[in-house]
Amino acid sequence: MADTVPIIETHALTRDFKATRAVDSLELSIWPGELFGLVGPDGAGKTTTLRLLAGLLDITSGGAELAGYDLARQAEKIKRKIGYMAQRFSLYSELSVVENLSFFAELYDVDPSVLQERTEQLLAFADLTEFRSRRAAHLSGGMQKKLALACTLIHRPQILLLDEPTTGVDPVSRREFWDILGNLHLEGTTIVVSTPYMDEADRCSRVGLMYEGRMIVCADPQSIRAQIQGELIELHTEDWQMASAFVETLPGVLEVQIYGESLHVFVDSADERLPAIEAAFRDQGLVLREARRATARMEEAFISLVTRLDTARRLEKET
Amino acid sequence: MSLRHLRAIVRKEVQHIMRDRATLILVLVTPTAMLFLMAFALAVDIKHVPIAVLDYDRTPTSRSLIRRVTEGNDLDLYTEVGSLDEVNRLLVGGDVKAAMVIGAAFEDDLMSLRGMPLQVVIDGTEPKTGGFVVERVGGQAEAFVGEVLARQIQVHGVSLDSLQPIDLRVRALYNPALKPRVDMVPGLISMVLGFPALSVALTLAHEREHGTLEQVLVTPVGRVEFLLGKMIPYVIVGLVNVIVIPMVARATFHIPFNGSFPLFFLLSALFLFAILGVGMVVGVFTRTQPAALALSFLVIFFPGFFLTGIFFPIVSMPEVMRVESLGMPGTHYAVITRGLFLTGVGLDVLWPYAIMLVGLCVGFTAIAVFFFRKKLG
Repeated sequence: MADTVPIIETHALTRDFKATRAVDSLELSIWPGELFGLVGPDGAGKTTTLRLLAGLLDITSGGAELAGYDLARQAEKIKRKIGYMAQRFSLYSELSVVENLSFFAELYDVDPSVLQERTEQLLAFADLTEFRSRRAAHLSGGMQKKLALACTLIHRPQILLLDEPTTGVDPVSRREFWDILGNLHLEGTTIVVSTPYMDEADRCSRVGLMYEGRMIVCADPQSIRAQIQGELIELHTEDWQMASAFVETLPGVLEVQIYGESLHVFVDSADERLPAIEAAFRDQGLVLREARRATARMEEAFISLVTRLDTARRLEKET
Repeated sequence: MSLRHLRAIVRKEVQHIMRDRATLILVLVTPTAMLFLMAFALAVDIKHVPIAVLDYDRTPTSRSLIRRVTEGNDLDLYTEVGSLDEVNRLLVGGDVKAAMVIGAAFEDDLMSLRGMPLQVVIDGTEPKTGGFVVERVGGQAEAFVGEVLARQIQVHGVSLDSLQPIDLRVRALYNPALKPRVDMVPGLISMVLGFPALSVALTLAHEREHGTLEQVLVTPVGRVEFLLGKMIPYVIVGLVNVIVIPMVARATFHIPFNGSFPLFFLLSALFLFAILGVGMVVGVFTRTQPAALALSFLVIFFPGFFLTGIFFPIVSMPEVMRVESLGMPGTHYAVITRGLFLTGVGLDVLWPYAIMLVGLCVGFTAIAVFFFRKKLG
């Protein structure tokens, strides 16, 4: 963070849709070269935030600056500095790979003398060279995403805004896509990416957790993981329903998260509670296949934070 | 305005039209197909109407009247009947459309100049056909009586001319045979050429629904560039129709073309721009394709049918509708097509209509651009 001025800065940025406040007084500073991950449950306001930053939606109140321009008054100037990739596939499916690239190159006024070279670069970079003449409609989901990314990179934007770019993509393509983002990050492009995948959030330099239109936590992944209360124990049982109900009643247990057959149990002290839990299961006659200490990942941290927020919300409504 | 942006949008839209078969058919084939359909459905010549005859007289004179009435292509003698009940039965069954009843003293009354007892029974649920039969029977009977009387009078040595104080002869200019399709087809052309406006109305909603609009709106493309770029390809495709349709009209409906073709081409381009402008306004104000479709029918096709003077004369409309019809490109273009196809006039006569079209082009495009915003939702 050599630069002292944020490349994206929002001030009480707010957007209402009829009765709902999709984005609520968002305060966000993103520094040049960051790879910023935007996470949060569905409907938290991630897409609305990205669309606001891309100039696609009117601001209800507040404001933002991107690359030194005011979002409300200079949106058209900002458009030349950013690349935006929508969540849905949004290229022209009747056009070929190359036709899509050159269409966006012309709209972004890419210098014709570098167009040829840059097209080839992007095709190679997105691994689409051999599919250059194929219509976008006939590409696989992963290839469509890579083409969409290539189209948003054709004008060398300073800022990339990516809305769930890997949703609905197979794991291999997902990994490839993130390798490309990693390279762009190394080249110094500022990237804001929303994602429902916590392993992806782990690859970001900083993560913002949105909940009901507000930014709840904004920190690097380690700090977010550190926010989890207690230590983690992983239990593999035979009957997870009965086991989870039982384990919640034990002393020192702070939170239980269910992942299929296994239970992730947060306790005040793992050293102390692990033998106690094993003993309690034996006494109760419940089968415990495996019980071990584990390190909390983003996923546990995320679920823990959202569960706490949901509980607080419920209590607030009740009173 | 950036020509490079405009060219990129035009090229992309042309590629879309050429590669999307439904759009291609809609813009290239539909106008001609609709012209055929409407010309045949709306301007049917009435011919060979079956009628029944009830002859109470049964004299040589009544026989020659029946022959006279049914000899041409207009009325066909279906059958002779003996009573009015039978006439009724045939009318109800749809076998005949009308009946001619000749009174018992037809010959006697005629020869003794007491007028003639002649009745036409028609089916009131089909007044148009009925009216046609009345007119034909009346005309033929009048001529027939005239000839019979003339012969009687000549026997008495009186000159024929002195007996016909009014000799009215109608001469229909520009459509001498008064063929119904000849006046209608040029008007229909102005309607069917407007069909691609539907594609233009749908194009914004189509991009919105497919998400492509979102990706274009984040580029620096200008609003004028984007909307004009979308209209220009449809003007070009529309001009293909402008060349094909007069040839089809001449070959199938024998519609003459008496004016200047370059002038027709130029004014047609103006009309296309204006009507596509209306389509673009529809597109700007709607979010989904079904909504755009519904609004197109409300503001393009129904008024195009009822308000442009193609079927219903504008002079007989109430004031409000007359003013409204001035805003329809079709109103002015229908005058232009009739003028160029039938009367063969030039710009010296058509200039006010050409100026109105220019005004509507600019007006509708300006409205579309003004209300189009580079935002979602």
